[in-house]
Amino acid sequence: MRLIVNGRPVDADPPGHQPLLDFLRDACGLTGTKRGCDRGECGACTVLVDGEPTLSCLALAHGCDGQSVQTIEGLGDVDAPHALQEAFVAEDAAQCGFCTPGQLMAAAALLARVDDPTEAEVRSALSGNLCRCGTHPKIVRAVRRAAQAIRSSDAS
Amino acid sequence: MTEPRRRFVSTTVEVEGRVETRVVEVPAVTLEPWDADAALTHVGARARRVDGLLKTAGRAPYTTDLARPGMAHAVFVRAQVPRGRVTAIDTTAARAMPGVLDILLAADVPAATRLFRAEVTYAGAPIAAVCAETLAQAEAAARAVRVTIEPGAAAITPEQALAGAPVRPGLTSNQSGGAPKVRQRGDVDVALAAADVVVTREVRTPCVLHSAMEPHAAVAEWSGDQLTVWESTQGIYRVRDGLAKTLGLPVNQVRVICEAMGGGFGAKNYAGSHTITAAILARRLRRPVSCVLDRAGEQTDSGNRPSTWQRITIGARRDGTLVAIDLDAIIPLGIGGWDGGPGDLFHELYACPNVRTREAFLYVNAGAMASFRAPGHAEGAVGLELTLNAIAAELGLDPLVLRERNIATRDQKQDRPYTGNRLAECYVEGARRIGWHDRAGRTVRTGRLRRGFGVAAQVWGTGGGPPSYATVRLNTDGTADVLSGTQDLGTGTRTILAQIAAESLGHRLDAVRAIIGDTATGPYSGNSWGSITVASLTPAVRMAAEEARRSLLEAAAGILDCAVDALETREGRVQLRGTDRSLAFGEVTAKLGNVMIMGQGARGPNPSGTGIMTTGAQFAEVEVDAETGVVRVVKVVAVHDAGRIVNPTLAESQLEGGIIQGLGYALFEERALDERLGLPLNVGLHDYKIPTHADIPVIDGHFLDGADPLANPVGARGIAEPAIIPTAPAIAGAVADALGVKVSELPLTPWRVLDALDGSER
Repeated sequence: MRLIVNGRPVDADPPGHQPLLDFLRDACGLTGTKRGCDRGECGACTVLVDGEPTLSCLALAHGCDGQSVQTIEGLGDVDAPHALQEAFVAEDAAQCGFCTPGQLMAAAALLARVDDPTEAEVRSALSGNLCRCGTHPKIVRAVRRAAQAIRSSDAS
Repeated sequence: MTEPRRRFVSTTVEVEGRVETRVVEVPAVTLEPWDADAALTHVGARARRVDGLLKTAGRAPYTTDLARPGMAHAVFVRAQVPRGRVTAIDTTAARAMPGVLDILLAADVPAATRLFRAEVTYAGAPIAAVCAETLAQAEAAARAVRVTIEPGAAAITPEQALAGAPVRPGLTSNQSGGAPKVRQRGDVDVALAAADVVVTREVRTPCVLHSAMEPHAAVAEWSGDQLTVWESTQGIYRVRDGLAKTLGLPVNQVRVICEAMGGGFGAKNYAGSHTITAAILARRLRRPVSCVLDRAGEQTDSGNRPSTWQRITIGARRDGTLVAIDLDAIIPLGIGGWDGGPGDLFHELYACPNVRTREAFLYVNAGAMASFRAPGHAEGAVGLELTLNAIAAELGLDPLVLRERNIATRDQKQDRPYTGNRLAECYVEGARRIGWHDRAGRTVRTGRLRRGFGVAAQVWGTGGGPPSYATVRLNTDGTADVLSGTQDLGTGTRTILAQIAAESLGHRLDAVRAIIGDTATGPYSGNSWGSITVASLTPAVRMAAEEARRSLLEAAAGILDCAVDALETREGRVQLRGTDRSLAFGEVTAKLGNVMIMGQGARGPNPSGTGIMTTGAQFAEVEVDAETGVVRVVKVVAVHDAGRIVNPTLAESQLEGGIIQGLGYALFEERALDERLGLPLNVGLHDYKIPTHADIPVIDGHFLDGADPLANPVGARGIAEPAIIPTAPAIAGAVADALGVKVSELPLTPWRVLDALDGSER
């Protein structure tokens, strides 16, 4: 199978039953995608498959053959962060940080659809991403801050 | 013979409601406390979390992310009955499965580990561990292990525990201590007989689960006789010492590392079964082994906040003065745990001369409790505050006024003054923020959507104390490192330590790095529990930095040919006062070459004879749908007095975290245990409901300005646990206010709300 991971083609033949999560973490070394429950409940493993937020613990790697997968590592990095990542730091929207990559990927999918989401739209789009530290208010603020930053930079 | 360099004295330390006396070091240097007016640059600033980008980029190294070369994976085979005896384990099929490397049974581990014992005492108990090349292979093989258990009679309910045989071998009674824990001051019976009004209420609180997003996890690796363990933990030193003791190893052969961890909330304080299993397998296989609990294991076998049954009786005078508080409580701890019960709060939250608590801590055949954010106090607050509301109603008094009339000005539990208690100001400020005194116009008690308001208070011992150590060193380029054996749970410890060190050195914040989470590099610091890390550790960091600063100034004085006293430091430069002569720290250190400037700091003892507490008040506004029973929390206002706030942004994050966990406790969370089968029924995060983005109210969190220079030289107290304590009772009180019904059981799920309405309206 061939899939595009963070913009790069990856040829592989993982076991037929291997979840996308395991493929990304173990075969690709992309451990930014977290295993929080491994049963489709917590959202920590959220990645984008052809732009759609997807629970990678429930998706089969082979099921993504020919598709494009984006993980947190593909969103931005420490030395070149995405506006969302910058906004999360500015708003202190990561406490323990374990759910953060999943929250960010769900938010990235939202901002690709809606450039100025309301608070309610952010909450709705991210409500499948659990956080136990109680960072929710700051996550919602951060997503809206990032949306604002992206609109400003698009306008300039 | 010279004077001894180090002196030791006894001091009292309060950790999670437990007061301990310890022998501690008195540092040779006494720091001048930073008082409320101290002019500080970095301390009190909204500094960004120093590891924020690492976390948002997905690069923070969590234990569950580690992939050591050749690492194998271990999983547990768990008991599916609450009580019985393992009579046979057939591993033949499992051992033949692909990738299987080893299977650990009781005979393969030292007795001191207490692992995999034949006596099954709760559902979910580990019976064996299976290790394979991959996690998927280990999980598949674990399913192929055939276990035969001869079932025994389990005690699941308190009644069964009191009536039945010991729930585990070695117990003589299923009640901790053999009898209820009774504490009394004054004479409750006499006071109740003389009270103008007496109210009795029964309240039940649920068993709730920590549910950290990163499960318990350990990776163990041996190099010769040296064991290195990466662990998702709140206490690297405690894990190290626990492992060394259990495995019979010299402590200096064990190194524990925790660089990033995905939440603990009290459940990750010790070396666990997974830690010991990983270490043993790694030694047998001569390769690194990872052992991570799966979600079901996390939800059943990593601790919980125990349920409580509380019967509370309060007596008061007509004017609202409390004269007696009485608590009877039953707390099923599970198969083990400690007596962190609801009673403690009853002795200290409100001024009252006569208080009696009787707590029966029972062992039952279910997963053991563990500390969970304000253990005991969060439970006790529900019973105490709801009963106080009932007293207010009986007297026709505003619930806030009743509380304001009964503020505890002293630490009644230990009969001593507080270093400070500004709860009265918290009530006033909180009432202003929620609009308490004009709430009547916004209260709705008829129709479908009802609206109500609630208030509750908290007190929590957050003084911390010794021992805690830090080293501050300047590097050859003038940058600084803070080294300490603490860890960052997500509270922002790294950032806080850098702020304190930058302040004390007179350095730039971005030139200071905190190196923590490794027993090999950091001197001892205690567990990150009890909301004590800032109060315990920052004075040691301050001392270390000030010692390093003095050395730097001495070196600079030599270069500038001036008196040390004529120098000051600011933003990474040494300045000769009143002149334009200055040196960057790096210019001084460059002259020193590899001569190292290094300061050592130790936390001094707490002031004797005083209680160091964080107090606060919270208010909740809720909307209740009287047709569906759904409760929506509209707003929570929280005002706390926590002394100096080192970083307001991080402090707010802690407040919000405590409030949101408290909201879950009030409305959604409850471990369901089948009382007949003894099996937990909701072991995943779909069935066990924690708050989501959709459930979050407006949160207005506020800390009173100021500092507590009597508590410690930084003037800070703790903040992480206090916010959860009043949250659930304020919400429950608001629901009762909206509906005009008695609320006696959490969580307030729709059916409980409708039941309460049925009882009152139909």
